[in-house]
Amino acid sequence: MILSEDKTMSEHNHHEHHVSSAGQLWAIGIALTLLTILTVGLSYVEIPAPFDVVVALTVAFGKAFLVCAFFMNLYWDTKFNTMLLIGAFAFFILMVAVTLLDTLYRNDVVPSF
Amino acid sequence: MSNHSQAHPAHLQHHFVDSDQQFDAAKMGMWVFIVNEILFFGGLFCAYIVFRAWYPDLFTQAATELNTVWGAVNTLVLIGSSLTVAMAIRSAQKNQIKGLQINLLITIALACVFLLIKYFEYSHKLHIGIWPGAELYTYEGIDHPLAHVFFSIYYVMTGIHAIHIIVGIGLMIWIYIRAKKNEFGSEYYTPVEMVGLYWHLVDVIWIFLFPLLYLIE
Repeated sequence: MILSEDKTMSEHNHHEHHVSSAGQLWAIGIALTLLTILTVGLSYVEIPAPFDVVVALTVAFGKAFLVCAFFMNLYWDTKFNTMLLIGAFAFFILMVAVTLLDTLYRNDVVPSF
Repeated sequence: MSNHSQAHPAHLQHHFVDSDQQFDAAKMGMWVFIVNEILFFGGLFCAYIVFRAWYPDLFTQAATELNTVWGAVNTLVLIGSSLTVAMAIRSAQKNQIKGLQINLLITIALACVFLLIKYFEYSHKLHIGIWPGAELYTYEGIDHPLAHVFFSIYYVMTGIHAIHIIVGIGLMIWIYIRAKKNEFGSEYYTPVEMVGLYWHLVDVIWIFLFPLLYLIE
């Protein structure tokens, strides 16, 4: 709730840069540490493919969200910068999708191999 | 003339209306650079995805050669350095120049720890014959004819990431020297913020590299 109050404040008064409290930053750091321990722990659990990758990537995206939103300050920043980030990711997905349309449907994977 | 320089602080370029506009423009430019970085690493992740889709067994077998513990330690080292770089920016915003310098030094130290661990990982692999490329690869511990392919991907992805760490160390030394000259404070800390954004990006990339390379078995 403190976060949302800060947000409305910075929207009303654009000249104030957001200053995170030390407690907030430490909380994010600790959350990232716990998520790292979680993902290492989960790697020792037998999860059938492809859900092992799904679980690992879900945790990774959770960590990336925390870093982008609260360390890179996107939460308090202009929405344009968030749009740039989402746009980059969308084009990455497009690149992978179009590539897989080729590589997944070849009869001979790589002829020279 | 003295009035003029008061109205325009030393850091403010003439083509900007005020410091806020300059700061926001710099930050947007930095985010455009981050877009470029994401798509740059995106090409490498794309190669990873293609080869993993082709040879799922290769990845699960070869990844056992990577040391999960050292990978996890390095993940925590980078998270710690992201925290200290965020604290450095906070110090600058609050005019605590000493705190800014100390946090930058801790960040540089953590970055060096990361590289040191990476150096030990690389040298161990090279020692037992795990080299990138079919010609140089001589290790026989992995029962897969394309084991070298996994390690080529591993070396290129972690190597380019490590180059980013080295660049980041250079940038932080530059910021530290400028902080020592008292160039930053709550009124002007744009370069600190931008180097911080860069450093967090390097952290985010490792957040994905770690599970995708070390945690598959």
